[in-house]
Amino acid sequence: MTESGAQLFARLEARRCLKDIEKKLFPGDGGPENGEVVELYGSEGTGKTELLYHLLSRCLLPLSAGGLEVDVVFMDTDYSLDMLRLVSILDSRLNAARSSSSSSGSDEEVLGSCLSRLLVVHCSSSSQLLLTLHFLETTLTSRPRVALLLIDSISAFYWPDRCEGGTSVTKQEEKLSKCAELLGRLLRDFRITVFATCHAIRRNYSGPSSFSSSSSSSSSSSDIDRPFLCRPWQRLVAHRLLCSKETTNMAANNNREPKRRQMFTVHCTSSSSSSSSSSSKTKSYRSSSFCITDAGVEFI
Amino acid sequence: MQISSCSLSPAVKSRLTAAGFHFLSELRGLSPSHICAETGVSQQEALQVLQAVRGGASGGGASVGGASGGGGASVGPPPSLTALQLLQEEQSQRSIFSFCSQLDATLGGGLPVGKTTEICGAPGTGKTQLCLQLVVDVQVPVCFGGLGGQVVVVDTEGSFLLQRVQDIAGAVVKHCSLLVEDDEQRVAMTTFSVETILSNIFLVRCHDYVELLAELHLLPDFLSEHPRVRLLVIDSVAFPFRLHFDELSQRTRLLNGLAQQLIAMATSHNVAVVITNQMTTRLRGGQSQLVPALGESWGHAPTIRLLLQWAGTQRLATIFKSPGHPGATVQYQITSDGFRDADQSEQPPSKRPRTHTVQSATGQRDSNQSSAGQRDSNQSAAGQRDSNQSAAGQRDSNQSAAGQRDSNQSAAGQRDSNQSAAGQRECS
Amino acid sequence: MVVLREGMCPGLDADLVRDLRAAGIKTVEDVVSSDIEDLAQRCSVSYKALFAIRRVLLAQHAAFPVSGADLYEELLSSTAIISTGNPSLDKLLDSGLFTGEITELSGGPGSGKSQVCFGVAVHVSLHLKQSVIFIDTTGGLTASRLLQMMQTESSNPEEQTEALQRIHVFRLFNIFSLLDCLFALRSGRLQQACAGSVKAVIVDSVSAVISPLLGGKQNEGMSLMIQVAGALKTMAKDFNVAALVTNHVTRSDSGGVQPGLGVSWSHIPRTRVLLERRGEGGGGRALQSALCDPDQVLQTALSHQGRVRPAVVEPLERGVVGKEKTGRD
Repeated sequence: MTESGAQLFARLEARRCLKDIEKKLFPGDGGPENGEVVELYGSEGTGKTELLYHLLSRCLLPLSAGGLEVDVVFMDTDYSLDMLRLVSILDSRLNAARSSSSSSGSDEEVLGSCLSRLLVVHCSSSSQLLLTLHFLETTLTSRPRVALLLIDSISAFYWPDRCEGGTSVTKQEEKLSKCAELLGRLLRDFRITVFATCHAIRRNYSGPSSFSSSSSSSSSSSDIDRPFLCRPWQRLVAHRLLCSKETTNMAANNNREPKRRQMFTVHCTSSSSSSSSSSSKTKSYRSSSFCITDAGVEFI
Repeated sequence: MQISSCSLSPAVKSRLTAAGFHFLSELRGLSPSHICAETGVSQQEALQVLQAVRGGASGGGASVGGASGGGGASVGPPPSLTALQLLQEEQSQRSIFSFCSQLDATLGGGLPVGKTTEICGAPGTGKTQLCLQLVVDVQVPVCFGGLGGQVVVVDTEGSFLLQRVQDIAGAVVKHCSLLVEDDEQRVAMTTFSVETILSNIFLVRCHDYVELLAELHLLPDFLSEHPRVRLLVIDSVAFPFRLHFDELSQRTRLLNGLAQQLIAMATSHNVAVVITNQMTTRLRGGQSQLVPALGESWGHAPTIRLLLQWAGTQRLATIFKSPGHPGATVQYQITSDGFRDADQSEQPPSKRPRTHTVQSATGQRDSNQSSAGQRDSNQSAAGQRDSNQSAAGQRDSNQSAAGQRDSNQSAAGQRDSNQSAAGQRECS
Repeated sequence: MVVLREGMCPGLDADLVRDLRAAGIKTVEDVVSSDIEDLAQRCSVSYKALFAIRRVLLAQHAAFPVSGADLYEELLSSTAIISTGNPSLDKLLDSGLFTGEITELSGGPGSGKSQVCFGVAVHVSLHLKQSVIFIDTTGGLTASRLLQMMQTESSNPEEQTEALQRIHVFRLFNIFSLLDCLFALRSGRLQQACAGSVKAVIVDSVSAVISPLLGGKQNEGMSLMIQVAGALKTMAKDFNVAALVTNHVTRSDSGGVQPGLGVSWSHIPRTRVLLERRGEGGGGRALQSALCDPDQVLQTALSHQGRVRPAVVEPLERGVVGKEKTGRD
């Protein structure tokens, strides 16, 4: 491989470690190390995306506003990136920081510089995801400040892949496996951190009959929360954040009192393979709660 | 367009994608043998693939019916029309009146053609009576304000009583003869008789849901051959689907597919689809409630839902849902002449006779047979379709249940053998 | 997955394609994933040429990163909020339907989903003077009802006629024709055909065509569902239209209601509105809506008395289109 000196330097230069990205989330002081993968898992409306925006805005915000000031690549496979929501979170945090300490620069400028640290890329199929990951290699080389890769979501092409793969499970998982392998290499080479969301998928889908919904509510949560993506991906994941909603039965009840506060719980499972004894994986856990306000996630 | 979103069989699609093809456009210009060699599909499948490529937007599921309900198999690419054109189309169509002026008024002139209407009600509320009335009414000549159309009746309960049709038809013919004013109407009356009414009814009996689904796959072709058909009655859709299901989700899926087929037929062949449904009790919060059967998701299937019920000694018809009309409740009665307004003096409600006079229905079979024969020969072609195959598979499992069917089955069984005989004759 | 063809990029001639095939390299992915050095030797091509081919192929087929700042600029200038024509519903939706997003209405039979869709179509075509694409999968679209609704808001027959012509109707009854239509829309063909800017795409209902395919052991139904979702989303984003879809509901034994089509669909719409019918048997319909925002940014419950019949739905202030959105509050 030809590699210029500058490229080599960019590759080897230490990327910003995101170990301190959110102390309240990870067990002990074990935030994600360089080159680790964090998976955010949960079903609809469990605060995954909000949590992702929280972590994203922490990375984008300038040091003066309590951020990490690093570059982020956002791979949007769901076409769900809500820029306006992200901006409103950034805005409120910038405002909060400004009121405490007078910082220079107009609102627009600071916001603009925050957003310019974000690179967004949309993918519409798993093959495109794979090609784009290959393509990112050059982006990562040219931008040494990129410390975080977000994938929202890694499970987006699960069903199309399953269908295209025909009857063979290997074929069904082939593309994501390739992506995971490539991602593994990128992690080793560039020492970036990866956050990926994964939507819950009930595998034994029992159809939308008016009678089947009862089974969904009664089926054990462990069944729904079980990882379903391919093994190569599972092996990459070092931290798994399981999101859930605290209040039950929110839909269509007579909750006439407006804006009832919704609590969310996130349960983190870290399997950090310490370098000294790589054979024995130690698992550690931590549960934390947060609620969502206009300014984004607030931990309790 | 992506290969994965066109209507080919899943197996073919996975072969194509495995060979690296992702978009239909990539297959353009390739020869069938080339595709066979590259992907390992059969020659026939390759031809289907190329058809999909050439058709581009034909979707439709003409080649592969699938569970998607490619009902209107004949339709090509989806035509776009503006709401104005749709309005003109709607206004040019006549509705089927019911002889109950109050009900017609609330429905804006009667049952709309091109839509699906469901009639729900407990036993004895007059669902079948209303159907039989409509079966006759749709045939009223155009000069009398009718549609002069033909009817397909799919009978699943054995409730199609010929004698009753004769009564109603007689009353309608008499009614029309009293209205004759000009020559055109006089000429029309010479051919509008009870006999012609009966000869314009195509009766199909289905004994279980497999037969019903199979029949619905064949109906689009039948409707193309009989462009005068303006009404399709299924009495009832609930009966064959109430039993024999281990898994409710399967029933829901089949029903949803059936619903789409009916809607497609109603729209593309310009017929009014009338289906009847039973009522069932649902426990909700300790209270029992009488609701239409077949579950909530079926409730979306009909465009218009009519509810027939008793309130004391009165019969009430309620429009439960309709996109074009506000909800309303009207009174009706059932007389010996048929479905009528309730303004006349109270008459004892005519319970529908329970005796089976099915045998006499064979009288019209002659008119049916030719079409039935054709349909049978179609069946073999249709047998290749995916969904039909699976339906045939299910048939085996239902065989045991078949024994439980009631007496009218034997009559219908005869018809079956007649049909196949007719089919053979056609073939030879 | 794209098959290698000669002439795809400079340097990729028929001979090279054949050689690559012989080496088991059939698609762009294969080229990109393989070890170029090894491949160059096996196909006896120069390393440099092959490396250049790889780079061009990647640039052609990978998605290109866009700066967040640019994306935001673009979004600010293009995002519009489209009023539904129903003040209470607008309030619930944080002032209306957002372009670039999918909004879902779910509810049982006769809960007024179609009526709300008609209302939106009428409002956009009559008051905002924009085109609407109405995809009818249930045969429920009644033009006379649209006209009736227009007549309550405008007495000018010409205006009504023009408005009716701005509503483009597709009647599609299975998923393949729906997908066909959506892809055609996305490729821009229909945008031209509809002359004038389309601001809203309404699919009533999306569950009618998807639910017959779900269940059982085949993955195809799920795959097709995701493709419908993808087509809708990209179309909403690329053409800046508001997508409004309707869904049915499933009911648990306890009477709890949740939108249909299952977990995999649940994260597709940006906003979901649940319509419920209160009080059985005709009469005045009262509507209770509960907003279930997938992201739980806000969760409000609103009860709005009165009939859903959009005769009651009064037009809002005009020219809401183009209003900037700076965040949800």
